[in-house]
Amino acid sequence: MTTNTRDDRREMLRVTGVSLAAAGLASVSLLQPKEAEAAEVKTPQWVMIMDLRRCTGCRACTVACKAEYDVPLGAFKTVIKQVVTGKYPDTRRTLIPRRCNHCEGTEKVGDMTVPPCVKACPEYPKDRRVFVTAEGKKIRYRGGATYKRPDGLILIDNDACTGCGKCIDACPYGARTFNKRKLSGKDKSKNAIVKCSSCVHRLDEGITPACVNTCAPGARIFGDLNDPNSDVAKLAKEFNLLENRNKTTMKPEAKTMPNIYYIDPDEVLADYSYEDKDKLTEYRDIVE
Amino acid sequence: GGRDFNPDTGKERKAVPTVCYSCVTRDPKIAFVEDGRVVKIEGQPNSIRSLGKICAKGQAGVNQVYFPDRILYPLKRAGKRGDGKYKRISWDEALTDLAARMKKLRDDGHPEKLMYHYGRAKGSSSSLPKTVFMGTYGSKTISGHTSICEGGKWVAQELTWGNHYDNWDFDNTDYVLNFGSGVLEAHTNHIPTAQRLVKAMVERNVPCITFDVRLSYTAAKSTKWEPVRPGTDLAVLLAMNNVIMQENLYDREAFTFIRTTEDVNAPLDEKIAALKKHLISYTPEWAEKISGVSAANIKKYAREFAKAKAACIISYRGLVAHYNGTDGERAAQMLGMITGNINSPGGRCKAVAPHWKYPKGPKVKPKGKQLKITNGTLSALPNHGECQSVLKMIKDGSHGRPDIYLWYCYNPVYVNGECQENIDVLSDEKLMPFTVTSNIVYDESSRLADLILPDTSYLERWDWDGNVAPTQQTEFELRQPVVTPLGECRNFSDILCDLAKRMEMPLGFDTMEEFVKLSCEMTPTVKDLPGGGFEYLKKHGVYHDPNEKPDFYSHKKIVKDADLKKEGILFDEATGVYWNWKKSKAKDEAEAMAKGYAKMAYSYKGYVGQKIGDKVYKGFKPDKVNKTGYFELYSTILKEKGFEPFPSWKAIPEHQELTKNQLTLTTYKVPVQIHSRSTHCKWLTEMFHDNPAWINSKTAASLGIKDGDLVKLTSKIGEISIKAYVNEMIVPGSIAISYHLGRTESGRYGSGKKSIMGSDNDPDLKLKWWDTYGVHPNWLIANAPDPISGQHRWMDEVVTVSKA
Repeated sequence: MTTNTRDDRREMLRVTGVSLAAAGLASVSLLQPKEAEAAEVKTPQWVMIMDLRRCTGCRACTVACKAEYDVPLGAFKTVIKQVVTGKYPDTRRTLIPRRCNHCEGTEKVGDMTVPPCVKACPEYPKDRRVFVTAEGKKIRYRGGATYKRPDGLILIDNDACTGCGKCIDACPYGARTFNKRKLSGKDKSKNAIVKCSSCVHRLDEGITPACVNTCAPGARIFGDLNDPNSDVAKLAKEFNLLENRNKTTMKPEAKTMPNIYYIDPDEVLADYSYEDKDKLTEYRDIVE
Repeated sequence: GGRDFNPDTGKERKAVPTVCYSCVTRDPKIAFVEDGRVVKIEGQPNSIRSLGKICAKGQAGVNQVYFPDRILYPLKRAGKRGDGKYKRISWDEALTDLAARMKKLRDDGHPEKLMYHYGRAKGSSSSLPKTVFMGTYGSKTISGHTSICEGGKWVAQELTWGNHYDNWDFDNTDYVLNFGSGVLEAHTNHIPTAQRLVKAMVERNVPCITFDVRLSYTAAKSTKWEPVRPGTDLAVLLAMNNVIMQENLYDREAFTFIRTTEDVNAPLDEKIAALKKHLISYTPEWAEKISGVSAANIKKYAREFAKAKAACIISYRGLVAHYNGTDGERAAQMLGMITGNINSPGGRCKAVAPHWKYPKGPKVKPKGKQLKITNGTLSALPNHGECQSVLKMIKDGSHGRPDIYLWYCYNPVYVNGECQENIDVLSDEKLMPFTVTSNIVYDESSRLADLILPDTSYLERWDWDGNVAPTQQTEFELRQPVVTPLGECRNFSDILCDLAKRMEMPLGFDTMEEFVKLSCEMTPTVKDLPGGGFEYLKKHGVYHDPNEKPDFYSHKKIVKDADLKKEGILFDEATGVYWNWKKSKAKDEAEAMAKGYAKMAYSYKGYVGQKIGDKVYKGFKPDKVNKTGYFELYSTILKEKGFEPFPSWKAIPEHQELTKNQLTLTTYKVPVQIHSRSTHCKWLTEMFHDNPAWINSKTAASLGIKDGDLVKLTSKIGEISIKAYVNEMIVPGSIAISYHLGRTESGRYGSGKKSIMGSDNDPDLKLKWWDTYGVHPNWLIANAPDPISGQHRWMDEVVTVSKA
């Protein structure tokens, strides 16, 4: 059986300094061929595993996130959705935690493989940035209003953002929306964009994301897939999460290569029906 | 965890350890403060209870401080009661007036005409007002709220194993049977127990079978949901006990400590035979007809439970809040005990909680007087009162009426049944001359207060506290102010200290902070901590003794000979109980001897041990009733009150003859709202602001109701209209409506109405996107008690349903 350690300090202290890196060796066997190259430079690859066996729908994650960022009403960075199937009395009710998938992406901008939101951003690529690993190795990458960091996080730089909203339309998951209490950095007639940052401000200090910290049943497991000793790497191996992307990630047909994986022994994800017409409704957390 | 940073500036937020009070679980937590504002909350990693986790309601504690409709100043009624017209007054004016009223009652010799009615006030916020202030003042007209919560469960436990509250040892269990508990979503020890149950199920494949009317989150997460007809869990439990007895799957040794006969000295075989005989007619086939649970499954679960190395029976209001609820819980206790799963690793255990010592006020206190209006007149053993009957008793008037009705942490109009009658009584100045409350939120009852005192939120005040640890160890907790109180808010207990001084009855301390500090200095386990208990707990939030062994099998401990020879100790032949008559109401030893243990008032307070064979055991120490030290499955106390001595089947009378359009009403809680104290929290109400009634698709079809239709529900006392949520997640023939919503007050987030003196300083007010506030079921539910315990019968109401 799987044991999910709750000791986030042990997991996170591997990360030091202003930027992130993993001290662990890359485990090439766990990675897709296209990712192997990235692994050689020993950046972390942050992934979250949602264990559907454990989520009780308590919404501590949803509210922890609201508080961490003072997320305005109407917007959510993480939500729980439910899937109900079957006829009484053989009804099945499953809770599905969701947040930005921090997708690997399959489209190219220059040398970078990026997800649809980054590809759609007219303010990407912009400034030149440097990511420093734990060993002090420097990795160059490009910033933008929406950009991808070498550790896989998809982040927003509001100073560069025009609030055009193209990233909102591009995201197949509804994980982005306008922040109605904040203006975009470059165009004060538009609103800023709100979405999950994987609590990068906590990660950079060696602290787990707010939603993970508060998850009592341990349904959210976060860590570095490149560290074979991490819980996420062990779970990925145990449940073949990478090999079975079509069943362990959301909306595989969108071909975004999510970095959120689901332990889903009952194959509930297949029954999840998206509200594609109204992404805002899709990404609101409503308790039944 | 343990640290947090501003996401924009990266600046570290100040961490202050404190204790949650959103619900009664009271998880230790850490509040993060930035520029004098609390912005974020996390669990306390050092807590053996919560293991650093906290729920949605605890996270939303931030909203409890800053919701824009919060009461910030003392308010005095300025129009007719209920008009909603108030004027702001000074604290001095408010307390001068209130102290004068209280003083007059006391000096006229009628302190009992001050009534104190409180909700789930716990820890020092219970002891200071109830024991110290009211005790010093001289009024025993005090009511809690337990009978609308889980009073029936406690009375059943008092009748069987003594003190109330059961801990469930999920860390060590191998099998769980759940009768009507939402342990994964709304339990009184939610986060500490929920995470351990999930861990057991996922990591050790522990089966959990949930019997519930509804596919709750807990039922959904369980290994199996067994839908059960409302009010019939008792039949299933009796049948399971029967299977275990007839198939000889019981734990023979456990019967040493069990009472099943009139004769307390009956040999084991006689005790076993008596229970077998009592249960024999409760066959699984019989129970299937009543409950809808298949006989095959009843047998299967009974056998699995009995054969598991360690098994845990758990229960809550789905089992207990019925006409037959006390016997339901007694039958659950029986299942645990006869299989050896009581007080055992992995079983249902007597709770271990911290014992705080505290200053009790002046040595010489008046003999308290009491209006007999807190226990109703309809139940036999209202050990925890009958709070839903208090306003009815006041209306009736034959037992007197309070001149001042003071309530705290409580919303009598909304949380009891029969909302309309509650409003009528509380509005009537002839019945209720003066009404006063201390609250953070202007709610349905505050609206009927003549004086409203602005309380602090739990993040702005002091308390010693503590709740049950699932590890059978003791954890001490300290609540401390995380931020300065907003506006002119003052903690209710501080106000009572002030009032006491104004009435020339000083309590020996001036503030709750001082009371808490003194308590830390008096309490053995914490007083010698490094720097003193108070300073230690301020810094660390919690304390447990790492060397304390988990407390199992406490009933098997032998009482020392010396303890039987102390002065005042008598042996009672009839019950086999050793007891100290001096702790009872007996005038002298002769009276104690003449009446005997069973008949002498309060003799249970002197209980020392139970003689079984040639040994004296600590046994199952009684509380609130003079039971023996046995685990009483056979109760002479109930027998004398005219009830069956064994747990026995009793059908819900109202459920027996229903017409086609009559359904049984079930109520429930969701994980993101506190029963009645959270709709003003925007982050919670944003997720839950509508509560359509659950109806099974077949039932709906037979009534011509479609999903989303507006339906009319009529009971014998009221009528509501509510949207139908037609689904596959509820037993046919019943209808389920959650609590929490249908608020007519509680500010803009919860009711759409701005409260008096509400401010507009929350930028989210402009972004509130919902305009539904749900429907409250209590307009339909009569204030009726379980005839044994006085437990409110939340789940028994019959409603006639039609399309509106």
